Order: sequence, then C-alpha cells, then structure tokens
Amino acid sequence: MIRLLLENFQIAVTAIVGGKIRALLTALGIVIGILSVTLMGTLISGLDQSFEKSMSFLGRDVFFLSRFEWFGGQEWWEVRNRPKFKLDYVDKLKEQGKRIETVAPVMERGLDVSRGEESVVGVRIFGTTPEYQRTTVVNIKHGRFITEGEVRSGSRHAVIGWDIADGLFGNENPIGKDIKLGNHRFTVIGVVEKQGKFLGLFSLDNQVVIPIGTYQRLFARRGWMRMNVKVDADHVNEAEDEVRGIMRRLRGLHPQEKDNFAINRQEAFRKQYNMIKYAIGGTGIFITVLSLLVGGIGIMNIMFVSVKERTREIGVRKAIGATRNMILGQFLLEAVLICVLGGAIGMGLAWGASFFIDKFIPSTMPVWLAIISVSLSVVVGVIAGLIPSYKAANMNPIEALRYE
Amino acid sequence: MSTLISLKNIRKIYTVGLEKVHALDGVDLTINHNEYISVMGPSGSGKSTLMNMIGCLDTPTSGQYEFEGELVHKMDDNQLASIRNRKIGFVFQTFNLLPKLTALHNVELPLIYANVIRKERLKKAREALEKVGLQDRMHHRPNELSGGQRQRVAIARALVTNPAIILADEPTGNLDSKSGDEIMQVLDSLFELGNTIILVTHEEYIAKHAHRTINLFDGKISKDTRTK
Repeated sequence: MIRLLLENFQIAVTAIVGGKIRALLTALGIVIGILSVTLMGTLISGLDQSFEKSMSFLGRDVFFLSRFEWFGGQEWWEVRNRPKFKLDYVDKLKEQGKRIETVAPVMERGLDVSRGEESVVGVRIFGTTPEYQRTTVVNIKHGRFITEGEVRSGSRHAVIGWDIADGLFGNENPIGKDIKLGNHRFTVIGVVEKQGKFLGLFSLDNQVVIPIGTYQRLFARRGWMRMNVKVDADHVNEAEDEVRGIMRRLRGLHPQEKDNFAINRQEAFRKQYNMIKYAIGGTGIFITVLSLLVGGIGIMNIMFVSVKERTREIGVRKAIGATRNMILGQFLLEAVLICVLGGAIGMGLAWGASFFIDKFIPSTMPVWLAIISVSLSVVVGVIAGLIPSYKAANMNPIEALRYE
Repeated sequence: MSTLISLKNIRKIYTVGLEKVHALDGVDLTINHNEYISVMGPSGSGKSTLMNMIGCLDTPTSGQYEFEGELVHKMDDNQLASIRNRKIGFVFQTFNLLPKLTALHNVELPLIYANVIRKERLKKAREALEKVGLQDRMHHRPNELSGGQRQRVAIARALVTNPAIILADEPTGNLDSKSGDEIMQVLDSLFELGNTIILVTHEEYIAKHAHRTINLFDGKISKDTRTK
C-alpha cells in the first residue's frame, strides 16, 4: 500500500512537472488563500503578543478612575463639566472599600526635561504616591522609588524612565545627580528599567515620576487627577460595584443621576482590541475562504482536464491491472500535491512578509499556523480532486482504451 | 493439454437506444494451454467483444466463463483487475504505451500494480525487454522508438507478469509489413517458449501464424479450424 502511494507520488510529480505553468497557475488561488491565512495569523499573533505585553501595565485587577471614559461615547460638554477628583478620595476609598487593596492618585502633564545642554522634550511627568508601584509595573533598575515621607514633605526627588536616563546621562550613573523638570531642579533617586511602548503608541520609558505633593505645589495646583485603584483580584466585578457605590456617595449623587466619573478597566482596551482583531481575522478568513474556494474550483477544473486528457492512460492502467482505488489514489494525490505546492508557496511568501511586518509589530509565524496551512491545502486538494478522481476511477476500461 | 479457458453459452447484449444488440450470442469455446489461436471475422461480428470478454475487461450478460478454474463471470471490478494483472497480457493495435515513461518504466508498470518491490520489478522488466530484443532501447521514450520497437515494448509489458495468456488485438495493424513480420516472429517465438496466444486479425497471412483459427459471424462462432 505504501509502495503504491510512493508510485502514485512519482506519477503525480511527473504529471505536475510535465505541466509546470498550468499547475502553478491553477495553484494561484491556493497560494493567495494560504498567504492570507498565514499572514493574518502571523499578524494577529504578533498583535496579541504586543497587546498582552502592554496590558501587563494595566493590571486586570486595577481600575483607572478618571473623569473620562477611555472609549466613551459621552457628550463632550457633559464630561467636561464633571467634578474633578480630590486627593482625599484616596483615604476614603481605602477606608470604605473592603475589596480595595490600595489607591494611588496620579496627576500627569508633559514637560521638557534637561540637564545642562542636554534635554529631552515631551516627557510625561507623573505626580503620585509610593502606592503607584503596586498598581502598575514599575521595575526599578537603579536606586529606589519615591517614599511616603517624600510625598508628605514635597521633596524634589524624581524617578526617571530608561530613555531619559540614557538621553541625559549616557553611561553615567544618574543616581544623586540633578536634572531640571521645566525650570525646577530635581534630584534623581531611581531609574526604571526599559519597558518599551504601550500598544506601539507612546513610550513607557519617556516618563518621570515625582511625589504628588511636589507636583501639585510646582506644576498644577488644579490640574486633573485620576486614581489607580487596585482591588481584590478574585472579586474584580464586585469590587467595581463597591468602588462605584463609594464614588457616588462621595459625589453625593441621587439614585436616578448618572455617574459623573468613569471606572476604566483593562477590559475596555480588550474590547476595543478584540474588535480590531475580529475585523482583521474576519477579513482574513473571508479572503482565505474565497480564494481557497476559487482555487479549489480551479484545481477541480484542471483535474477534470487532466483526467480527460489521460483517458487512454487510465484505460491502459486498468487493462494491466490497476484497481479503481489505485486510479482514485493516483489522481487524488495529484490534486493534493498541487494544493500543497500552492500552500507551500503561499506560506513562503507569508514567511517573507512576516519579516517586513516585524518592523512594525513584533511578529513571527507560529508553527501551528504552518500546520494548519498545510492541512488546509490537503483538505482543499482532497475536496477538489474527489469528483474528477472518482470519474477517472470509474471509467470503463474498454471505452477508455478506445478514446481518441 | 489442460484447459485454460472455458466459455459456455456466453451472451453479451448491449442496449443501443431502444434496440438490443447481441454482440455475442451464445459462444462456447475451450482454449487449452499453449495454443496459438487467431480470431477472424468481419467488423461487427463480435471479435472485439469476445476479446474484451476473454481479457476480463468485460463480463458477460449471461453464460459461464472459467479461467484456470476461476469463475470470471461472477467477479467484481477489483477481482477482474487482479486477474487481468496476474493472468493476462494485452498487446494493442495502437501500442498504448505511456508517452512520458521510458520503455523500461512502461514495462515495469504491471508489476507496480502487482505490488512487486522496485528492484525485482526493474530486473523483470529488463529481462522482458531482452526477450523482445530491445535491451539497448530501455531508456528511450516511446516517441524515440519506431513503430515496431514500440510494439515490442508493448509485448514486453504484456510478458513481464508471466501471464497465462497473451491477447494481441491487431498487433500489426499499425505497422509496415517488415515491422509486422518482426512482431509476428516475436509472437511465434513466445509460442514456442510455451505461451498461449490469441490473435485478432483481418489479415489471412497473419492468421496463418496461428495453429487454430476461429471465425466469428453475427456474434456466433461460425468456424473453428485447426490448421497445424
């Protein structure tokens, strides 16, 4: 049986090599189909990787309380007139929320950071408390993070991101050295390790963290404040209800009034992301199915032609003892081989393209995708080849031999 | 001499439109081992149908066909394929070689379906080609061979499985008289070596090579004469 398969393989290779261009053109649909499925898969797996990496900065168990919904459809003026957050919410949330583990207030603005002649423009300045470290990923590479004491005293200490350390200090150790945030002198107490970009949008290494008291005193007494609230990871949804309740009480809202604050969660990003992902995936699958369908019909057509052309050959083979199944296998294998060939070309192209995509989104073609592609090619080959092969297998040898 | 083939009251009826055509109308025929038979008759007499029947390419509408004790009239497609492979060698008027394969691979083909290992196949194919005097043309494709050489490749292919019978359907029909004579010499020598040969022909002088001539007319055997 295996021997026969090998023979059929040889016959198929001979037939395909004999009609190179025809086979190649026929396989074009399969090439495009496999190209689109692998490209889409590669893209999505790359996006997934960078998305998950970015999401690790927004913990699943952390709420981001703010005046704005991240992906809101609210009236702009309604949002704009919402009351601001106050620093005393922090303690009240901590006291009243059973499922709240910690709360970190955050104020943020853009500013240029300089040291002597060197400067880094458009740096994000964060004013916060030591609790901030517990609500997001901040791995200190050198030195330390800000302390409770520094928050209370409003000292001029700063923790700087990797790019700033690199830009202003190069190979020097920045700890204990002075920098200027705008016009204000600060002493560097820590450097955060390299974190990369958030969703490829903005750099997480272009940030400076200072005590919130200092921030309010120097940069914005009024400014907007938001809060990172870390909650019990096992009861995230209950915690959301709790936080909403506390906030409504703090704001003195009547039951029929709408929230005038937003509780943002990672979920919001996830929803948005999934929409994008499904859009890409849906389009990819649509193109794939369409081109595989067209490709499959093409293969079926060429197999009908091949069977017709080789009617006499089929007659001869039957006369000298080939059974129905042997003939069926011969043509089926030929169809599958054309498809796999097309699939391999498509995969090769996608593999090449993945290097190009890699420049924008980190992406490598996953192995499972290659396996799926090959299987898909085989399936298309079998389906497309079945009817023509069946026709060949059931030819009457006498008539086939007489065919001109 | 032992019985090789026995046909008893074989009928083959085709329906063409509303008309029923009796291609074979009660044929009784016994063929022994190592016979050399020619089948003659005008076109439409049932020659081809009889050859297809004997060659196990077709089954009778009614009647019994025994081939070395195997009941061919009861066989299904796979069994027919198997008996063709094991017991019958075909030689066609138009050679019917596969154009993309070399002489050697053409001859090897029946052994592939007999599930013989490659080494053994090639050895037997070479031997068969030597028997028909084509040892120096083994790696040529059909289009690089003359008509007579092609037919010799076809004979080698028919021989390679060591079949019980060789069926030659107008083997010289597409050849000039010189090549035709050569082919007949090959068939004669195969008979001398102990093979059973059935020859379908129009030509009286070709039929004379055989030792027994069967004449068909209207689907019936009209004459069965032993000439040698």
